Amino acid sequence: MNIHELVELNNQKRKLLTEENRKYYEKMLVYIRLSYRISDLETEETLSELLDHLLDAQEEGKNAEEVFGKNPKKYADEIIGELPKMVTKERTSLIGMGILFFLAVSMILSGIIALVSHYYFTEAGLMKEFYLGSALLKTAISIPVAFFLLYSIIFYLRWSCFKKINKIAEFFVFWFYGAFSVGLFVIIYLFIPSFGPKLEISVFIVIMSGVILFILGTLFKRKIEKGKR
Amino acid sequence: MSIRSQLLKGILEGCILAIIERKSVYGYELSVLLHNYGIEVSEGSIYPILLRLQKEKLIKGEVKKSQSGPNRKYYSLTDSGARALNEFQIHWLEMKVSVDQLLNKGDEN
Repeated sequence: MNIHELVELNNQKRKLLTEENRKYYEKMLVYIRLSYRISDLETEETLSELLDHLLDAQEEGKNAEEVFGKNPKKYADEIIGELPKMVTKERTSLIGMGILFFLAVSMILSGIIALVSHYYFTEAGLMKEFYLGSALLKTAISIPVAFFLLYSIIFYLRWSCFKKINKIAEFFVFWFYGAFSVGLFVIIYLFIPSFGPKLEISVFIVIMSGVILFILGTLFKRKIEKGKR
Repeated sequence: MSIRSQLLKGILEGCILAIIERKSVYGYELSVLLHNYGIEVSEGSIYPILLRLQKEKLIKGEVKKSQSGPNRKYYSLTDSGARALNEFQIHWLEMKVSVDQLLNKGDEN
């Protein structure tokens, strides 16, 4: 079975759990899935094994706490500790894919913004100006920043997994975090001075290149998933 | 941790290997068999051990259809698993004899 089939089967089987067992199991599931250092396929296989066990135990009238112990985080950490680590090749492909998607989305977005401003404010032309030096520097800074922001979210989600957190407070935290992230990129883009040779590229070419990068990213993603079967 | 569970921690791996040698089992089945042999552990604790034994290539897991219907991951012993079990048995006997002697000596004095 591949990862998608395993995940789908898990979604179906989880419905058979009692409310109490489902809550316990799902916290563990999210926590284990978010630990990005371990190999995906083995993780899903183990998660489905644990679910099967819990379903069997449930038939015998036992609950999740009796099966996995009173401390789900500790148990999940034990499982994570024994799961095979993601191999470096797998990790490099994932990072490569992340970079492709990031570049694709930022090119498409900047193209669309230029297009919209062309139609609303006539002074903006359909040619986009690039300064090679600053464009490269912006990219070089943005990519690690994007990874850091993503890493922080994963870190927060893992940390909050087994904690009771006020939903409203969480909403505001995420809202501020979103605003902070956008602000960070705006600062990077506004405050890096223009330098290097000037290039003029049509907005449509920018968008097209973005789309091509996006397709490349998707193909890359398929290849990674295929390799895991 | 109680003395009992500390004692068990080290020998549980050997017990699991011994059960898997007799017949290939899936996780839930294994926990039931351990229980039937009087080896009381929390059921979940077998999974980290099963993962470790797989990593060390002492056992291998294979997804097969079970009698009750759904697919299960059945574990069986590898060649090096059989050797590891053999070693465990030797160490266990040695240790058992010495510990018995030690404990019984205490009685005699």
